[in-house]
Amino acid sequence: MITFGKGNLRVPKWSKRVFMVAAGCSPFRKYFPEYKLEELVMMGYKMMLEDNNLKLSPLEIKDSIQFAVYGQFADHFQDQLLCEAKIHDYLGLDPLYNVGIKTGGATGGTSILMGAQAIASGYANCCLVAGWERMDEVDTRTGNFYISTAACKDFETRMGRIYSSYYAPMANRFAWAYGLSDQVRAKIAIKNRHYATMNPNAQQPGDHTEEEVLSSRMSAYPLRFLECCAMTAGSASVLLCDEEMAYKLSDHPVEVFICGGSHTLRVADRRPMDIPLLPNEKPGMYDEFLKKNPRWPGFESFLAARFAAYLIYRMAGIKEPIEELDLVELHDAFTISDVQTYGDIGLRPYGQEVDYVESGDAYYGGKCPSNLSGGLLGTMHAVGATGIWQAAEVFWQLQNRYDYIHGDPKWWKRAGKKKPKNWKSLQVKDPKQGLWVSHAGVGSHVTVGILRKAW
Amino acid sequence: MAKPAYEKAITTKYIGTPLKLHDEKPAWVIESPRAMTHIHTYGLLTPFFEGLTKGKLMATKCVNPKCPQGSTWLPPRADCPDCYERMKWVKVPSVGTIYSFTLVDYAGIGIEMKTPYWQIDVAIKGVDTIFKGYLESGKPEIGMKVKAKFRTEKPTHTILDVCWVPA
Repeated sequence: MITFGKGNLRVPKWSKRVFMVAAGCSPFRKYFPEYKLEELVMMGYKMMLEDNNLKLSPLEIKDSIQFAVYGQFADHFQDQLLCEAKIHDYLGLDPLYNVGIKTGGATGGTSILMGAQAIASGYANCCLVAGWERMDEVDTRTGNFYISTAACKDFETRMGRIYSSYYAPMANRFAWAYGLSDQVRAKIAIKNRHYATMNPNAQQPGDHTEEEVLSSRMSAYPLRFLECCAMTAGSASVLLCDEEMAYKLSDHPVEVFICGGSHTLRVADRRPMDIPLLPNEKPGMYDEFLKKNPRWPGFESFLAARFAAYLIYRMAGIKEPIEELDLVELHDAFTISDVQTYGDIGLRPYGQEVDYVESGDAYYGGKCPSNLSGGLLGTMHAVGATGIWQAAEVFWQLQNRYDYIHGDPKWWKRAGKKKPKNWKSLQVKDPKQGLWVSHAGVGSHVTVGILRKAW
Repeated sequence: MAKPAYEKAITTKYIGTPLKLHDEKPAWVIESPRAMTHIHTYGLLTPFFEGLTKGKLMATKCVNPKCPQGSTWLPPRADCPDCYERMKWVKVPSVGTIYSFTLVDYAGIGIEMKTPYWQIDVAIKGVDTIFKGYLESGKPEIGMKVKAKFRTEKPTHTILDVCWVPA
């Protein structure tokens, strides 16, 4: 669709308000032979039940759940159809109904959207959303091929058999159109991997120099290994409730808004169209921009992300994203996908994305820091869990619990690591609301969610 | 007459291949091998793939006068997403310009081209989409003119039957 009907642009509205009261995750690793998948999910689920200052006991909460939504990206990786049934049974939740969600890299975000719909509709007043991926059953290059089957198998998969080769042309086009340098992309990798050093669950934390990033092995030009996320085994869970149940369970619930957008799986098929404007954008402001870049969204931007942002800011009543959001968690599967999103969600106008990093706004202490969790580059991309874990990290920030979740030695011990001596807090000062982006394909499915402090 | 199996007492024999232990510590990890063939149809896009083997680049065009867009698609698709009418096959020029590119250096398993190679996206006049392919020779840059080259002998029966060379 390149023109919208009036009905297409209706802003979603929950029938009942939706809240998040608890979150949990497992440690994240490349190879996790110590535990079976169900055991990894149980670990995140139990953290959710036990470590969120809930006012009911874990078993009382278990007795309160009515519905479960499960996110899993690929049956290929799990090598198990109906994995949801195994996990659900393992969590002792039969005969409550459950549903499996699959929208590629956006599976986690979509799972929360579906859980929120269950709450908003009244089907449930207490809903579990859990996600996972076990990407360690195959070697990395087979994993790369599996993921590349999430490109069009007739026209694209054979052209690279690795997802970086579908993002890299976007990076080259973006650099050509908007003057993005290798150095700015490297800054994102350095920033997020550094933040991951404070996260006990992180898979690939590290303090890197620009030279290290830019001299790391080439995956698909210009994207180097240190600019790409890794494959992960792990899980994440959140608990969603209606208003009454939320305050029964927690003194610090967080309100949930989430919307989605989509675009063709083949970037090739993205025909030029008008830019749907965010509340802070004025008609005509892109006239000059479009003279130079007449193919929007082209290879530079994501309609799916822009459309989700178009809806979510109206749904949540946000006018100036960069002023009103206290932190964001973006889908930095590759440095370039991170940069592209800044314009889509209005952290900067299109064409000025680079300034979000260069200005310092994206850093801890900046106006609207991104990926303090370590992001996908530093911490994890266990695909079905990713969008749930990103929400969890925003949730803990809003509850002022970054230090407990990332700094308590018990979590470092659980992950089999020692808390580093130079560990420092990345708690944002008194945050009110944060945003997270869950993103699939080369922008085929994107959810944008907002969590808002509700006490 | 022999009794059917369901009326017999049966002694069961294991006829599989024992799995290898990949790891014994910290837990048993087994190796479970796989080899399989998928039977995949090109359906209504068969003329496109057949066209490549005859040196033709075929796109689909929506000719419905009531269609709000009337786009020309390459990759082709049989049905128009804007008006839902069946589209018409048209031959498109075998020349274009490079819209973007990448060097595929580290590829996933089963890659059919020797790495590294240049993957390119080609804009073609009269086509509303951008067509992904690979450059058989040369070094790409955005805006560079290229022409299509077809694998008319020993075709692969895949999208790899077309590639591009500098024009």
